[in-house]
Amino acid sequence: MTAIAINLNGRRFEADVSPRTQLAELLRDKALLTGTHLGCEHGICGACTVLVDGAPARACITYAVACDGADVVTVEGLDDDPLAAELRAAFREQHALQCGFCTPGMLITARDIVARLPGADSDRIRLELAGNLCRCTGYLGVIQAVKQVVDARGEVAPLLPAERLGPVGARPCAQAVAPPTPIATTPETVAKVAPVPVASAPTDGPAPQHALARSLAVTAPVDAVWAQFADVVALSRCLPGAEFGAPDAQGVLHGRLHVKFGPVRAAFEASARQTTEPAERRGRLVGQGRDRLTGTRVTAEIAYALHAADADTRVDIEVRYGLSGRLAQFARGALAERFADRLTADFAYNLERLLAGAPPDATAPAADGLWARLLKWLRLSNT
Amino acid sequence: MKPAPFEYVRAASLDEAAALLRRGDLDARLIAGGQSLGPMLNLRLAQPGLLVDITGVPELLAAERTADGVYLGACVTHANVEDGRVPDATGGILARVAGGIAYRAVRNRGTLGGSLAHGDPAGDWPCVLPTLGAVLQIDDGRSTRELPAGALLRAAFEPALAPGELIAGMRLPTLSPAARWGYYKHCRKPGELAEAMAAVLWDPERDILRVTLGALDDAPCALDDASALFGRSGSRLSDRFDSDAVDALLQSRGIDDPIAQQMHRVVLRRAVERACA
Repeated sequence: MTAIAINLNGRRFEADVSPRTQLAELLRDKALLTGTHLGCEHGICGACTVLVDGAPARACITYAVACDGADVVTVEGLDDDPLAAELRAAFREQHALQCGFCTPGMLITARDIVARLPGADSDRIRLELAGNLCRCTGYLGVIQAVKQVVDARGEVAPLLPAERLGPVGARPCAQAVAPPTPIATTPETVAKVAPVPVASAPTDGPAPQHALARSLAVTAPVDAVWAQFADVVALSRCLPGAEFGAPDAQGVLHGRLHVKFGPVRAAFEASARQTTEPAERRGRLVGQGRDRLTGTRVTAEIAYALHAADADTRVDIEVRYGLSGRLAQFARGALAERFADRLTADFAYNLERLLAGAPPDATAPAADGLWARLLKWLRLSNT
Repeated sequence: MKPAPFEYVRAASLDEAAALLRRGDLDARLIAGGQSLGPMLNLRLAQPGLLVDITGVPELLAAERTADGVYLGACVTHANVEDGRVPDATGGILARVAGGIAYRAVRNRGTLGGSLAHGDPAGDWPCVLPTLGAVLQIDDGRSTRELPAGALLRAAFEPALAPGELIAGMRLPTLSPAARWGYYKHCRKPGELAEAMAAVLWDPERDILRVTLGALDDAPCALDDASALFGRSGSRLSDRFDSDAVDALLQSRGIDDPIAQQMHRVVLRRAVERACA
């Protein structure tokens, strides 16, 4: 817990907060100022907008500890504010609220528009209000109300926010702080989960929605390459971040797949089974995994087929995968797909190295743009 | 949702921040304005052990004119730029771009350096700053090095920074008076993440023709010499625009969905037309 003090609606307010406490939670739960509403909690809807150092800011993606010493004004603090009084009257006249849920955030934003942009026309007002969602779709009344106040004020000088550069709420830090003690959030502290049973095809995981295929030319005789593919543990190491042990009595591999994607980290508890058709020199790896940290499940199926090409070998690989849970719901589906594509490209790249007798390369080919060239060889299709 | 628990430190110096980032036992991550990381924390997509807040480090708020342009500290906000509170060497380009980022309430806390280091491919600065020829100052508390803005992102969300390194600021060169600038982004709603964006800088006096494509689901595609995209004959840049060359470029970046191709092609053409307007 950290002791902080803010100037809240003109009064000093002190609190002990945990670092993860949102400014909005501090206002609602500790200061009991429930006029500030929490909607989406990721900065999109605008319901939690408050004034920080005189400028609007999202109280859901601003942490209370980052506002120590800041000046915060909520909708309750605007009772005696002349601009807000004009806006409240205009909101009443123009029927600018229906259920009222978005109104506190709308008023804070509207006050900023009126103060900062004298003479703004309806289009500009509409644009400036784009960050405040109204679930009754009552935008027209809000725009008319703001326009009414802007017009009534006429030609006035704009009021610009504080002189200080940098994020509103932040203060210069004068003294060094004691280094923190590590807290246990690493995947190692996650309780062991029971191994996921693996059938010959994924059954209870998300259905594979994506597929990619690639062919590798390997300068080695087909029998030597086939022998390499029998070493499934070595094969699994071609996937960056994979740690699998030897197969158990049922032929199932158990292990982990660590994934890092910018600030996102996941550690999938995974199991996989290899099945082969030696006469056809074909095989498949079917696996599934669960990441307890982000609550995400993945199923993957890697099918491979070896073909003799003169004295060398052509390896056809087809990967199908499906994601479900939080990572999949991350509203940027294409990013997750592109990330999976990269993992696949990395796998193919390391497989080439393995077949050439080189150890797996832990640094992704992405580092030197190689993977973009690899991608040219990948064919993407949604199945 | 509420974030998973984390520790929090407000660093007083770059040295202190860098030392915390280098420690292997803390799982530390920088936070500046937190307008991109905050949502990921609240959605529990990101669960770091420690946040190192660098907004209290004074030199990160530098904003000064230099011999050949301006220097802006990493913690200068989009709103600071939008409001003309920092010196400008681009004839107002930076302010216009800044004003189109997300929403005012986000711009009041979101920072230049944070946006770059977060490396969201749909971010405006990762597309705009390479095109303007920005050079980043990378600091690890012990030494500094310079890095062209276009070389920062290896992939989406993956800046080329070693453990302990952070972006301290950036140098922006002065554009010549004849420089033409075009920028266009396509969003389904103002302030939403862009689905396609493009920036064009044509500065014949300095022999510059740069193009960057952004919002590609991958790192921006920054062409320091974009003359290959303008191979057709014609006096105006927009007449010389070669759609086939653009298609080949998109293909080479793995963009083969026809709708995505069309979107990026049109957005780039509009950026070029704006540069010629």
